[in-house]
Amino acid sequence: MSLHDQHVLMLVLLLLGLFAGLASGFPVAFVLGGVALLVAGLGMALGNFDASFLEAFPNRVFGVMTNETLVAVPLFVFMGIMLERSRIAESLLEAVASLFGRKRGGLVVAVLLVGALLAASTGIVGATVVAMGLISLPTMLRNGYCPRLASGAICASGTLGQVIPPSIVLVLLGDQLGNAYQQAQLKQGIFAPESVSVSDLFAGALVPGLGLVVLYLAYALWVAWRQPERAPALRDVTPRSVGDLAKAILPALTLIGLVLGSILAGIATASEAAAVGAVGATAFAALYGRLGARRLLEVGTETVKVTAMVFAILVGAALFSLVFRGYGGDALVHEVLTALPGGKWGAVVAVMLLMFLLGFVIDFIEIIFVVVPIVGPVLLALGVDPVWLGVMMAVNLQTSFLTPPFGFALFYLRGVAPPEVLTSDIYRGVVPFIGLQLLMLALVAAFPVLATGLPDWLYG
Amino acid sequence: MGLSRIAALLRAADALTEAAGRLAGLLALALVALSFGLVLARYALGLGSVAAQEGVLWLHAALFLLGLAYALKHGSHVRVDVFSQRWAPRTRAWVELAGMVVLLLPLCVFMIAMSWDYVAASWAAREGSRDPGGLPGWYLLKSLLPLSAALLMLQAVAQTLRALRTALEGPPA
Repeated sequence: MSLHDQHVLMLVLLLLGLFAGLASGFPVAFVLGGVALLVAGLGMALGNFDASFLEAFPNRVFGVMTNETLVAVPLFVFMGIMLERSRIAESLLEAVASLFGRKRGGLVVAVLLVGALLAASTGIVGATVVAMGLISLPTMLRNGYCPRLASGAICASGTLGQVIPPSIVLVLLGDQLGNAYQQAQLKQGIFAPESVSVSDLFAGALVPGLGLVVLYLAYALWVAWRQPERAPALRDVTPRSVGDLAKAILPALTLIGLVLGSILAGIATASEAAAVGAVGATAFAALYGRLGARRLLEVGTETVKVTAMVFAILVGAALFSLVFRGYGGDALVHEVLTALPGGKWGAVVAVMLLMFLLGFVIDFIEIIFVVVPIVGPVLLALGVDPVWLGVMMAVNLQTSFLTPPFGFALFYLRGVAPPEVLTSDIYRGVVPFIGLQLLMLALVAAFPVLATGLPDWLYG
Repeated sequence: MGLSRIAALLRAADALTEAAGRLAGLLALALVALSFGLVLARYALGLGSVAAQEGVLWLHAALFLLGLAYALKHGSHVRVDVFSQRWAPRTRAWVELAGMVVLLLPLCVFMIAMSWDYVAASWAAREGSRDPGGLPGWYLLKSLLPLSAALLMLQAVAQTLRALRTALEGPPA
């Protein structure tokens, strides 16, 4: 058997091992890393795996340790847990819900709005889903909401952070697409290439992102109208004074204004904004007399648990990705893509499917760094618009992270959901939202102006 | 090794993991305070410090690395439990045992072995920050890698022994 065929076999083994490991219920992070290690070890014994691929591992982890952007993760987690433990988030949701009166579905509308705002402010899937899960799931369940609707709404609004700027994914994607665009043009002999920037991608993603919020809201209202028992009106809504409402809503509005405003205005980085958010949440907790030394320490250790969980997955995925590359997985993908029929559309559809499937097993940062450099130049040389491609990839990946059984958002929510919410509730709950995602994907595919219109108008 | 010595080992592993987790919790508070201090210094006073900026990264790295074992002890690492939630406790314990022995323990050994030369080289060079004004002693930061893997391994051994007991005797009353 040729080395190439052996490698293909080992890649199949790697994927089968991964699925088996995940199905066993062992922690995802250790399955990613452990299975990759086993298959690499087998390859070394058989003499078809080059051990030097693994030598990059400590440096990869060190890269994660010293990545300034990722510092935003523990800071946003801290903010979320502080808002939850000091019951500020709960008061906010209940206040927003009571604003919508005794209307059915008021709480899910509040969750979607608050979730989309919070998601836009972090742009990190894990942190947002975790924060929203901690903040809103217990409130919704206590008020008799259907666990499926509640978890679906949280996963969907939490993953929206990728599509609504400012999002970390869009920054990484913009960077990689920019490189790929330059390469594609240089290969075609254009030596004064046009560029595509992160701001182009931000502007391009704004309309589809807000469009998704509108679709989510429409669905939530439809459920409240047709199946009122799944989204009941709050049972004991006592009318609140304006002062009470202000007291409940002010902290969150201030925090969201500070965090989102400073990033959008281009003043602060995500990590800086997150630090302000974390301290702001602590200050409001203290101001409302809900903060003692004990609670402060408790928020600290809870932050450690959640952050360690998120980073363990990142580290496991890094090892997995090294072994995938070591067996020539990326080269194989390139080979297949260039041999596809259907030209531009055939290649785009294939890449979208591939990214969707990869979204089940590897993290978005890995996908962007592994897939875009390989497929980007090929697609862009075929004449695909880079901004449109970036927006399609972002919406597509968001859908992938929502899709059972391996969507990352589902893992993160599972990690913080109370045990009475079954995993199958989470899986079924996201299905309608996946439908809405696919609708938006189809709309952007059919009407590229949805993505390219705003950047063209802003930057000409 | 007698049963009482195994019990003592389990208690020691738990105590160490708890201590590391609580230390990491304090580091989380320090991370929030230092990050916010930097924002204030930069926007209010126009001051910046490469060393303090790197201090944030150190706190961040120490926080999640020291937390790995703590998260394992408290069951915070995410699982796909769609199948396993229907299994009997003893079946789950056997699968957990297999996962520990086949996946997590080798992973810990790999992390320690792989990072050994990497960290040793850093120690030998007394490596510091590459940026002017940055922190010295980057070999200490890098040493967190094998240290966290060792902590994780110790807790994994404890969990393995517990899983074995549950697999053999059923869940503890």
